[in-house]
Amino acid sequence: MAQADDSDDGMDEFMEKFKTQKYKNAFTESNWEEEFDKVPMFMKSAPEQIDPVKHPELACIQSIIHDDDRPPEEQAKSLKDEGNEYFKEKNYKKAIVAYTAGLKKNCSDSDLNAILYTNRAATHFHLGNMRSALNDATAAKKLKPDHIKAIIRGAQCCMELRNYAVALQWCDEGLRILPTEKKLQELRATADKQKRAADRDARKAKAKEKKERNERAVLLAAIKERGIRLLKPEQPQRRGSDSEDDGADVSAAAMAELHLDGLSTQEATGAQVYLDEQGVLHWPVLFLYPEYRQTDFISAFCENSSFIDHLVVMFGEELPPWDTDRKYYPQNLQLFFEDHEKGHVYEVDLEKSLLSILQHPGCSVKAGTPSFIVLVKESPFCKQFLSGKKVQRLK
Amino acid sequence: MLSDSEATELLSFLRRDMRADVKGQATEYILGLTGNREGCRYLRTKPDFLKALVTLTADPSIAIVKDCYHALVNLSADETLHKPLVKEAAILPTMFHNLLDPEYMFADRVSTILTNLSRHEATCREVFQALQEQEISLAKIVEIFCTEGFNKKASLHYLGPLLSNLTQLPEARQFILDKERCVIQRLLPYTQYEASVTRRGGVVGTLRNCCFDYAHHEWLLSDAVDILPFLLLPLAGPEELSEEENEGLPVDLQYLPEDKTREEDPDIRKMLIETLLLLTATKKGRQIMKEKNVYPIMREFHKWEKDLQVISACEKLVQVLIGDEPEPGMENLMEVNIPEGVEQKFKDLDAKEQEEIEKEKQELLKEEAEKHPNTVPEVLER
Repeated sequence: MAQADDSDDGMDEFMEKFKTQKYKNAFTESNWEEEFDKVPMFMKSAPEQIDPVKHPELACIQSIIHDDDRPPEEQAKSLKDEGNEYFKEKNYKKAIVAYTAGLKKNCSDSDLNAILYTNRAATHFHLGNMRSALNDATAAKKLKPDHIKAIIRGAQCCMELRNYAVALQWCDEGLRILPTEKKLQELRATADKQKRAADRDARKAKAKEKKERNERAVLLAAIKERGIRLLKPEQPQRRGSDSEDDGADVSAAAMAELHLDGLSTQEATGAQVYLDEQGVLHWPVLFLYPEYRQTDFISAFCENSSFIDHLVVMFGEELPPWDTDRKYYPQNLQLFFEDHEKGHVYEVDLEKSLLSILQHPGCSVKAGTPSFIVLVKESPFCKQFLSGKKVQRLK
Repeated sequence: MLSDSEATELLSFLRRDMRADVKGQATEYILGLTGNREGCRYLRTKPDFLKALVTLTADPSIAIVKDCYHALVNLSADETLHKPLVKEAAILPTMFHNLLDPEYMFADRVSTILTNLSRHEATCREVFQALQEQEISLAKIVEIFCTEGFNKKASLHYLGPLLSNLTQLPEARQFILDKERCVIQRLLPYTQYEASVTRRGGVVGTLRNCCFDYAHHEWLLSDAVDILPFLLLPLAGPEELSEEENEGLPVDLQYLPEDKTREEDPDIRKMLIETLLLLTATKKGRQIMKEKNVYPIMREFHKWEKDLQVISACEKLVQVLIGDEPEPGMENLMEVNIPEGVEQKFKDLDAKEQEEIEKEKQELLKEEAEKHPNTVPEVLER
């Protein structure tokens, strides 16, 4: 038509114009990349939130996808695809949103729903939400019992949750459907191995506990046999069972049990009385020096040793730095133990063994650690300390 | 036995459309026949009766079905009946069909019949072939066997011995030992199945048969299958081992509780030891078993075992475990060529050993009888 000729001419003119005139609203060197990025077709990545004012075209496209009258199956499929895209980008939170929206469509395609559940399970798995992942895998399996991916995922979740017996069940279920599925076989072998290792660990712990209980019983029997009294601590106060305190209550009860036999040391020493292979007891013993508020701790005082043996070693060569008067020589020392209940103080015969002292009717061991007061004979502090107390001297 | 006309008449009573009381009496009579050898042999000549029995297993009356199955069990126990049952009475398709039915009340009877039929190689092969033809596959049998509560009305323990019998065929072993699948692994836990000695024995028998194929030994002993703990657990006891010995054992055998009991059936114990012995045939196998500290388990076992046959087997195993390695060229104990004279010597020694064991047994029994002069020793019916 006539136009053809015209446009030819028109084109030439148009082209001519370019050589002299700049196109209005043209992209410039500096802004062409930015402008391109705004055009949906050329965008490298979509903005997180689509502002309809800044990106009206994008907003349009989005509304086409989401607010539509298409049948639920199609909508669900689009949402599935959307979720998959987000998943590939590792945008797991958005993937879950998409899959969830897809499931909410409640479409009748159970295969699609099974896939949505399975994919959401995978997403949860990567986020570390094992329970949610397992729930989704279970739901997928319910919809489509032969969906191998769901079964594999379910087994993996159980493994992460350390529920090896159930993991095995999932694997066996899957292998029934696809006996040669390698991943399931591997999972099964691992689950089996872990389960058996866990069983062994439980048995080992039980054996250890039993051994410790036996040793404890033997120890307590030895102490009792010697006629040594262990002071039982007071029962801890029972608190009201607030849910907050429940945890504390449980551990308090456990500690109480430990203390009830009177053997746990409150001290941060970690030492405890023990029975050696020859059947001899060794006690942790505290020496108290009230004059200078000092203490000495013997971690293993053999019951057959005498006090003078230890004192000679402790004070024989060098006097302690806190002994400013230089008077704590072994021959000057007097030892006492206190019966706190009755308020009696008993002098200790230094030549006697620890065992015979502990067997003294007035002596009882507090917190598993016998303690003795060390004073210097005839010293002013000694006189002052003992005044007002009922003292049982050595005969 | 029956005259021809009597037989014909009886046969006519064994039809589904007959009156219940007539059917019932007829089947009862047949059952009576199967109770002894002459009756069985007679029925061998009358395949129509066998066919009728198989057909009547579908009868609506439970009492009749029960009698039919009872008769078929008896018949299948007699090897001479196998061919007629399988060929002429075509018993196998019906049996398989019923076995796979999770609701079938007589599935246990079916398993027993199939086990009986598969005892000897010839019919065993027929059974296996029928399995393939019916497109059932050994896989299904294993699956049913390993599915707890597959059939609420039947325990299916007899599938154990069935599997054991089937594995006398290399084709069956090939399936069980398939590395691409997970078959043998699913059977292993049943070596400790307390509720049924039949099931346990069947599984152990299966494992023993599979261990004849020494090409698979390394795989069996590897982590992929890990057969060793499952063979040792029934033989391990509550005795406390030192910490050092414990740590060297396979995981499942460490720190066993004080209430651990050993396998109570001496035949199964013997089979377990035989299986272990088979696994020592190759150099690699011996190496692995020595590494996994099998010896302390067998040491404690030897102290505990009373049955002479089992003790003898145990001693053979221990010999290999603590003995020196054989000379080069003789490392695979199953491939060694034993010169005829030597082989005969071994056979003689074995026979002598058996004699001695029998003698010891008799002496023990005599001692027992002398202690209790009034008890009559039990005669076991075959």
